[in-house]
Amino acid sequence: MLTAVVIRSGQALQVHLVSSETSGEPVDLSQCEFKPEATNPTKCGPGPSPIIPEMKELAWGAGSFIVFALLMRFFLFPRLKKGMDSRYNSIREGHENADSTRASARSEVAQYEAAVVAAKAEAAKVVDAARATLETERQAAITAANARIATQREAAMAAADAARTAGRSQVESAVVDVVSSAVEIATGKRPDGSAVSRAVADAMSAGVR
Amino acid sequence: MIALEFPPINEILRWKDLFPTFNKIALIAVLAAVIGTLIFLLAGNKDAKVAPKGIRNFAESIVEFIENGIVMQTMGRDGLGWTPFLLSLFSFIYLCNVPGIIPFLQMPATARMALPVFLSLLVWVVFIVTGFKHQGLGYIKSSLFPPGVPKALYILVTPIEFISTFLVRPFSLTVRLFANMLAGHILLVTFGLLSEALFQAKGNPALIPVGVLPLFMLIFLTGFEVLVAFLQAYIFTILTAVYIGGAAHPEH
Amino acid sequence: MEAFVHIAAAAGLTGDEAKAASAAGSAGFAYGLAAIGPGIGIGYLVGKSVEAMARQPEAAGMVRTTMFLGIAFTEALALIGFVVFILIGL
Repeated sequence: MLTAVVIRSGQALQVHLVSSETSGEPVDLSQCEFKPEATNPTKCGPGPSPIIPEMKELAWGAGSFIVFALLMRFFLFPRLKKGMDSRYNSIREGHENADSTRASARSEVAQYEAAVVAAKAEAAKVVDAARATLETERQAAITAANARIATQREAAMAAADAARTAGRSQVESAVVDVVSSAVEIATGKRPDGSAVSRAVADAMSAGVR
Repeated sequence: MIALEFPPINEILRWKDLFPTFNKIALIAVLAAVIGTLIFLLAGNKDAKVAPKGIRNFAESIVEFIENGIVMQTMGRDGLGWTPFLLSLFSFIYLCNVPGIIPFLQMPATARMALPVFLSLLVWVVFIVTGFKHQGLGYIKSSLFPPGVPKALYILVTPIEFISTFLVRPFSLTVRLFANMLAGHILLVTFGLLSEALFQAKGNPALIPVGVLPLFMLIFLTGFEVLVAFLQAYIFTILTAVYIGGAAHPEH
Repeated sequence: MEAFVHIAAAAGLTGDEAKAASAAGSAGFAYGLAAIGPGIGIGYLVGKSVEAMARQPEAAGMVRTTMFLGIAFTEALALIGFVVFILIGL
C-alpha cells in the first residue's frame, strides 16, 4: 500500500509516495517536511481570476441593478418627471399669457395711434378752415381799405385840381389886370378886355404846357 | 536598489468577504443602487413648482442629459419611453465606476467581470426583445438580410451581420466597460506602488524626492479616471440606446 | 513566444519560470501591437470630427455624439488586446 504525502511550499506542490509495506507501519506525517500555510500570513492563495465573473458578485450586482431599475421605472422617474412636466407646462402657459397680453397691448397701442392720427387730421382741418376765413377777411379788409384810399385820393385830387384852376384863374385875372394897366400906361387908352384876356390865356397855357 | 514587486493582477482585485458571499464589489453595487435611489428620491421630494436648485437641479440635469443628449440624438421622440431604463443604466454604471477614485473604496465595481457581463447581457436581451416586439419575425430579416445588397452577397453578409449583431455587440459592450475600468485601476495601482517604493527607497536616499513624479502622475490619473468613469457610463448608455433604436426602427 | 522560451532558457531559467518570463514578454507585445491600430484610428477620427465641428459649428452636437460612438467602436480593439494581455499574463 502506498501513502501519498503532499507537501506544499509556496506555489510548488510536491508529492511523495511512501510505501507503508516497506516500513510496516503508518507513515508519521509529523516527520515529513510539512510547512503550514500560516507561516507567511501575507502570502495567501491567488486572488480571483480577473476575467471569469464571480457568481456572488454577479448575483449582488444584478439584484441591486434590477431593484434600482424597477424603482426608477415605476416610482422615482415618474414622480420627478411629473414635477418637471408640470413646471414646464406652467412656464409655457406663462409664456403664452405674456404673448397674448403683449398682443392685446399692441392692438391698444394701434388703436391709440389711429385715434391720434384722426385727431391730428381734425386739428389740421380746423386750422385750415380758420386760415381760409382769416384770408378772406384779410382780403376783404384790404379791398375796403384800398377803396377808401382810392376815393380819398380822388377827392384830394379833385380838390387840388379845383384849387389849381382857381389859382390859375386868379393869376390870369391878375395878369390881365397887370397887362391891361401896363398897356393903358403905355398907350394911354384902355385895351379891349376880352382880347387881352385871350392873349394872356394863350401865353399862360403855352408857358404851362 | 529599490525593490518594486508588482503584485499579479488577480491579487489587486482580491477583497475578503465582509460576510459570506458579500465582498467589496457587492458592497459597491448595493451602495450604487442605494445612492442612486436616494438622489432621485430626495429630488422628487422637493417642491416641483419653484425653480429647481440643489439636488433636484442635479437630478433634473441628469434626466435632461439622458433625454436630450442620448435619447433624442439616437432614437428620436419615439424613444422617450426608454428614458427611465437608460437613466438607471447610466446612474448605476457611473456610481459603480466612480468608487475607483474614492478613497477607502478605491475599486470600480465594473472592473470585475460580473457587472459588465450582467449589464450587457441584459441590454442584449432587451434589444432583441424590442426588435421582435416592434417588427415580429421581420426583425430577423431586417437585421440579417440588410436591404440593398445583391442576392449573391447574402452568403457573405448574413454570417457577418449575425456575428456582429448578436455576438460582438454584447461582447464588445462587456469588454469595453470592464477593460477600461480595470486598466484605470491597474494604472492607479502602478503609480501608487511606484511612488510608495520610491519614497521608501532604503539604500539610495537620492531616490526619495523622485517619488514626487509618480505621485503627480497619480493625481493627474485620478482626475483622468473621473472623466473615464463618466465617459464609459455615457458610452455604454448611448450604445444601448443605439442598439434599441436600431431594433425598434431598422431604417435608422 | 518560442523565442522568449529560448532566451529564458539561455538565461538559466527552468521550466515554469521560463514559461512565465516568456508569457510576460509576449503579453507586452500583444498589448503593444493591439494599441497601434486603434491609436491611429482614434486620432484620425477625432481629428476629422474637430474639422467637421469647426466647419459647421451648428452640427457640433450631432458630430460629437457620432464621434463618441466611433471612438467606442475603434477603442474596442485596443481593449480586446488589453484583455488578451491579462489572459496571457496569468
